[in-house]
Parts: sequence; C-alpha cells; structure tokens
Amino acid sequence: MAVTDKEFLRYSRQILLPEVGEQGQNRFKQSHILIIGVGGLGTLTAQYLAAAGIGKITLVDGDVVELSNLPRQLLFSKEDLGVNKAQVAAIKLMRAYEDCEIYSYCEYLSAANTNDLFSSKPSEFDLLLDCSDNFDVRQLVNLQAIKQGITLVSASAAHFQGQLLSINQQISPESGCYHCLYPSDMSVSQTCQTIGVLGPMVGTLASMQALMSLNLLLDVDVLKPSLDETAAKTKINGNQLLGKLFRFDGGKFTWRQASLLRDPNCSVCSA
Amino acid sequence: MISIFLNDEVMSIADGSSLTDVLKRRTIAENGVALVLNAEVVPRSRWPHIMCQQDDTLEVFSVVAGG
Repeated sequence: MAVTDKEFLRYSRQILLPEVGEQGQNRFKQSHILIIGVGGLGTLTAQYLAAAGIGKITLVDGDVVELSNLPRQLLFSKEDLGVNKAQVAAIKLMRAYEDCEIYSYCEYLSAANTNDLFSSKPSEFDLLLDCSDNFDVRQLVNLQAIKQGITLVSASAAHFQGQLLSINQQISPESGCYHCLYPSDMSVSQTCQTIGVLGPMVGTLASMQALMSLNLLLDVDVLKPSLDETAAKTKINGNQLLGKLFRFDGGKFTWRQASLLRDPNCSVCSA
Repeated sequence: MISIFLNDEVMSIADGSSLTDVLKRRTIAENGVALVLNAEVVPRSRWPHIMCQQDDTLEVFSVVAGG
C-alpha cells in the first residue's frame, strides 16, 4: 500500500522525518489502535493519533459527557452533555480526520465484554492504550494486553502527578506487567474525582502517550518480532521505551524514569 | 548507621535495614506505594529481602489511576 499524493501533502511534515518517511506513514495507516477510556487522556490521545494518519482506532467508554469534563476533555462541548463519550468522539474525529476509521464501543470495559472486543485471533490491534480513570479497569486492561500479546501503553494523571509506561510480555518479559508494579490489592487515593486535576496536566500525559505510541509503531520489532526485516531497520528504538516507567511531577516540573521489573510471584503474568 | 536518599531527602537507618524496614520506620503502608531503588522498580514481594546500601536512592510513590 503506497502513500497517495494527497496523503503525501497532508502528512508531509511527518514523512519529512527520516525516522518516519513513507514507510512509517504507511505503517501508521495500516495500524489499528484500541483506546480504553475516552476522557481527558483518551480524547486527546485519540485526536493526535487520528490526526497523524492512524488507519483505525477503536474507542471504548460507557460514560456520558458531563459539565465537569469540559475544562480538560477539549473534544467535547456543552451540546454533547449526556451523550456517550466514545460515540461523540468517534463522530467528531471522523469528521475532522477523514483518513481514519473510528469505531465506538459504548460500554465500559468489563470481564463480561472482553471476549466481544478481542474476538479476532490473532488480535487485530497493534497497540492497546489505557486511558481509563480507575484502578480496577487498569488491572483488566493489563490482563487483556498479556492474553492478547499486545503492547500496552498506559498513561494516568491526577492532582499534579502523571505516570506513563509501556510493556509487552512477549518481547520483554523481564519487565513484568502493570500488576507487578501495582498489585491489585493496592489502596488507591489519587483519582481526578477525589483530588482534582488541571487540564494541561492530563494533556501533557496524553501527548506523551500519543508520541510513545507513534514511536512504538515505527519500530515493528517491538510490536511483532521479525515480521518485516526491512521495516525493522528504522532509527526509532522502541526497546528504549518498552519496560520503562516515566513519572511526571507537574508541580515541580520534573520527570523521573525507572526500569520495570517482573515480580516472580505475580499472580497475573507469572501464573 | 548508613544514609540513603528517600524521595530526595537524606535518611539515616540502621545498617542491614530492608526496604520493608524503611517503610515501617516512616509508617508508610506497604499496600499504598510502589518503590524504585536506584532507578529500578522493586516488586513488593522483594522488599523484605533487599537490604539498603549506603547512598541508595529510594523513590516511594502512589499509584496514579486517573485519566
């Protein structure tokens, strides 16, 4: 599949990058990204990815737009109040970014509907993005990433704290999984509903999550090992991103980085 | 006694203290935090078995689940 003349013009600033080129742009076009949660993170990440020429995006959220969402969920406006977030986002993004097919799944992710979402084997999704707003769903997303063998890019933000990590059990099992870092019995105090958040704080993490996703797509080695040897010779090294935890303090403006490590006793990835 | 850095602050602890001991000393609940020791995450099951060394850099932080 070649890049068309129109696409070449539209994405010229991306194609200009030696790390992207026509090959990378094609890679974006052929990718399908699954986004769980269409709130502060999900709306912005989805918009960046759709705008970059990602071919397919599936948005999952059972929530409806509320007034308190509008300061940070910039895709929504007061006309959308009461309407499902995945549905509104899909309509608006498809209108703005015609190259991107966007599917909406208007339910919360739950153990009951994962079979429905992940029905094709092997998985049709190239990346799984966790943009959810609660710990239980984050554990479920992690489990699905492991079961489906998909790279997980997980972002979160609350108060002035943001966290970002990417993992793939098949490619870097030594890094473990989300549950190795945060076991499911952890007590969680920081959610946007209980301690608040500023819009740009969520926006920072959403931008980083979108950038990390594009970088990972440019390194096919990180997604599907030895699928395409020529495409694997890109200059982006996704292995530098996989298995790392990045933490942003938006009050002090500091970034910290750490290597993730598998818990040999993890009940999820070591079972 | 040895000194370590706990979230950028110097802390003195007894030689041979484990990561679990550090949390107990600061009355931090084990199930409320994750730990990074010298830029590497340490899973909770390993905390009792890892002894602090002089000048170790320890980061203690909560899960952030919002989005």
